[in-house]
Amino acid sequence: MADVNAKSVLIAPIFQNNPIALQILGICSALAVTTSMSVSLVMALAVIFVTSLSSFFVSLIRNHIPSSIRIIVQMTIIASLVIVVDQILKAYAYEMSKQLSVFVGLIITNCIVMGRAEGFAMSNTPGMSFLDGIGNGLGYGFVLLVVGFFRELLGAGSVFGFTILPTVQDGGWYVPNGLLLLPPSAFFIIGLMIWVMRSIDPGQVEETEFKMKENSKPQEAV
Amino acid sequence: MGIRQTLDNIEPHFHKGGKYEKFYPLYEAVDTIFYSPPSVAKTTSFVRDGIDLKRIMITVWLCTFPAMFFGMWNAGWQANVAIDAGYASMGGWREAILMTLAGGHDAGSLWSNFVLGATYFLPIYLVTFAIGGFWEVLFAIKRGHEVNEGFFVTSVLFALILPATIPLWQVALGITFGVVIGKEIFGGTGKNFLNPALTGRAFLYFAYPAQISGDAIWVPADGYTGATVLSMAFQDGMGAVTNAFSWWDAFIGFIPGSVGEVSTLAILVGALVLLYTRIASWRIMLGVFLGMVATSTLFNLIGSDTNPMFAMPWYWHFVIGGFAFGMVFMATDPVSASMTTQGRLIFGVLIGVLTVLIRVVNPAFPEGIMLAILFANLFAPLIDHFFVQANIKRRIKRTGVPAEETA
Amino acid sequence: MAQGNNSIKKVLIVAFSLCIVCSVIVSTAAVALRPAQQLNQELDRKTNILNVARLYEPGTDVEEAFRTQITSRVVELETGEYTDEFDPETFDGFEAARDPATGRTLSGDRDIAGLSRVENYATVYLVGDAGDPDQIVLPIRGQGLWGRMMGFLSIEGDGNTIISITYYDHSETPGLGGEVNNPRWQAQWEGKEIYDEEGDLSPAIRLSKSASGENEVDALSGATLTSNGVTNMLQFWLSEEGFGPYLAKFRSGTELEDADNTDTDFEDGEGA
Repeated sequence: MADVNAKSVLIAPIFQNNPIALQILGICSALAVTTSMSVSLVMALAVIFVTSLSSFFVSLIRNHIPSSIRIIVQMTIIASLVIVVDQILKAYAYEMSKQLSVFVGLIITNCIVMGRAEGFAMSNTPGMSFLDGIGNGLGYGFVLLVVGFFRELLGAGSVFGFTILPTVQDGGWYVPNGLLLLPPSAFFIIGLMIWVMRSIDPGQVEETEFKMKENSKPQEAV
Repeated sequence: MGIRQTLDNIEPHFHKGGKYEKFYPLYEAVDTIFYSPPSVAKTTSFVRDGIDLKRIMITVWLCTFPAMFFGMWNAGWQANVAIDAGYASMGGWREAILMTLAGGHDAGSLWSNFVLGATYFLPIYLVTFAIGGFWEVLFAIKRGHEVNEGFFVTSVLFALILPATIPLWQVALGITFGVVIGKEIFGGTGKNFLNPALTGRAFLYFAYPAQISGDAIWVPADGYTGATVLSMAFQDGMGAVTNAFSWWDAFIGFIPGSVGEVSTLAILVGALVLLYTRIASWRIMLGVFLGMVATSTLFNLIGSDTNPMFAMPWYWHFVIGGFAFGMVFMATDPVSASMTTQGRLIFGVLIGVLTVLIRVVNPAFPEGIMLAILFANLFAPLIDHFFVQANIKRRIKRTGVPAEETA
Repeated sequence: MAQGNNSIKKVLIVAFSLCIVCSVIVSTAAVALRPAQQLNQELDRKTNILNVARLYEPGTDVEEAFRTQITSRVVELETGEYTDEFDPETFDGFEAARDPATGRTLSGDRDIAGLSRVENYATVYLVGDAGDPDQIVLPIRGQGLWGRMMGFLSIEGDGNTIISITYYDHSETPGLGGEVNNPRWQAQWEGKEIYDEEGDLSPAIRLSKSASGENEVDALSGATLTSNGVTNMLQFWLSEEGFGPYLAKFRSGTELEDADNTDTDFEDGEGA
């Protein structure tokens, strides 16, 4: 971990090493909160806040954390931050927190936060860890916003609440796609996103686990 | 001969270095519809038989014809009866075609009913074929393999399980989802674990529930609303159903519903051919049937004061909704069903049981066969796994040596 | 990293101090933000009430509008009389239903809305003059397709004509049952009447596939079970089990005793 520089730590997780698209972490909240752009945005901000600060604090005291209780220590820090975020949202963004409901609390279980604390912050300086937390939060937020964009646009005909495609229910022409209002649709969108990202950057594709035997394709047999 | 010559003449263009090299899959697809492929097996290690994937698929395709033609007549008949009763016709170009070919709405005329039904079904089928074919060819070209004939079957099955009044753009979306997400992303024909036609239908079902499961969609007459027999049974009980239709009505197909699913009789004609030619597995069909009979009988015995579906006897389950169609054409899809002989029976039973469970107990979805088959598709590899493992164990017991790893 | 990190002493020190720091932070946040949160919840409830009473526009000062235009009262459902036993500001119908002293269990055939327990008292919100209100806002709840639906129904001062209905908490399918909050659907309720000509306490209002007349509203298309749920909860809450006796007083034109000088003696109002 010698060659960590601020720029790569901050930028890489957004596309090259995206926590959702490449590491497939934090999927569950991405399914639940992406019905609209504004909710996705708030969720993304909350995760950025928690990831960056938890990484920062964990890194700050990393030399004093006994390895036997390090997971509990990380959890405690993360949990405290999540509760603070939840309380702030309830106080200042009540509508949002109603829509996010339990999912703010569930940031505690978001693998990205734990993963960065354990995988990066425990062995890097606080400053770097902070940036790394922001970077990974941004990567998470990037996916959330893309998924939220498609789900809100095609599912409700709007973006950030502004009507783009007037829906039939409101007298327009667009018949909203109800599937996109249901959580499973985020699976399809994330899947298609991963497809696109790996087509652009084939380096992200995993090695194939097995290869088809030769002669199994007709062209080879002729 | 004309066709062979034309094909041979243009063939060089599609070979390596030719100007249409990229489109070889398209050429190959057309060529092998008319003639047997040039690369037939000649060595002894193969069973030599006239049947190949393409012939199988075309047989299945032909087997849907009784249901398809009856369904077209039924769609037209339902509409003409409704129009006789005072509802306005939908108008538009369909009306124009009907007037030209059949002269008017007449529920008593076989021809008028058939033409009207065809003006609804054929566009659906054409769109399915064109859009689905587009994706199929696109992936074939991109991946450099030939176009798979499975698509013939997928497209006709998909078109047959849609209601007559579905907007054509939804047809296009549904088949796109079915082909791309249900099949191509897993590698194409033979590698999909879900039935692509049902995947497309399920997509439409969840995306546009009002248009594909509502009351106003089954009969193409303006303003006419009529529930399918299933939702009628769900809301008003078996009494309402038997008042409106006799069992024979439902069996022969004088009920509203998706084009291909209305006539159990016509579907069974197709089933006979499929079973006789051994294209479809009788074990799956039997399993589905037994699972349905057992579960519905169980519900009959339990009984319920609040849920009228508990009282529906098995012979009604059999003839209404998409049960027969799903059992004969969807569950038996060789790719997404179980592969092992005993596994097929279990696979079928699972579908039968789930269908009745969903129909009876679930409050939101009156029809269960589609979700049941998709669900069972997911379990097929697991079912196979257990039977394969059991086989391996038995062999070790018998011979004392593990079988040689072959794959 | 020092070896000493894993000594029991160090483990205890780290764990203890971390706990102290974190608990201080968390409790500070919780305590400091509580007033703002409670205010939000209040505001949310009031906004919903103003909304169903058609008094809310984006930008309305909710507190101000609520204070000047709306009076909350607790009603004893059985008699239909106001009671001062509970503070309308803090009375919670849902809690009251669970308490044996203020709620009762419904038997199966009377429990059409799927509530299992119901309160004996309920808060109503009166718009305008509390003695002769322009509008009455009633809380309703009941089982939908997937879960409990909570909402408000606003009625004109005649105790019969509906103004609007809204659900602030439900889990119906988006696009189908979820359309209960579609303004176009809500608009259909305006002017519909709860009771038919007979004048008894059984409500006639219902959702129907082909709505006609004063007592029927178009059902939600593709959402039969949600529609049934809405019908059932209205049938329940407006019957004699619910607000029936209370609304009957408005229908017959009987003046309810004004809020401020009502004492605990209900018998007077009954005969008048």
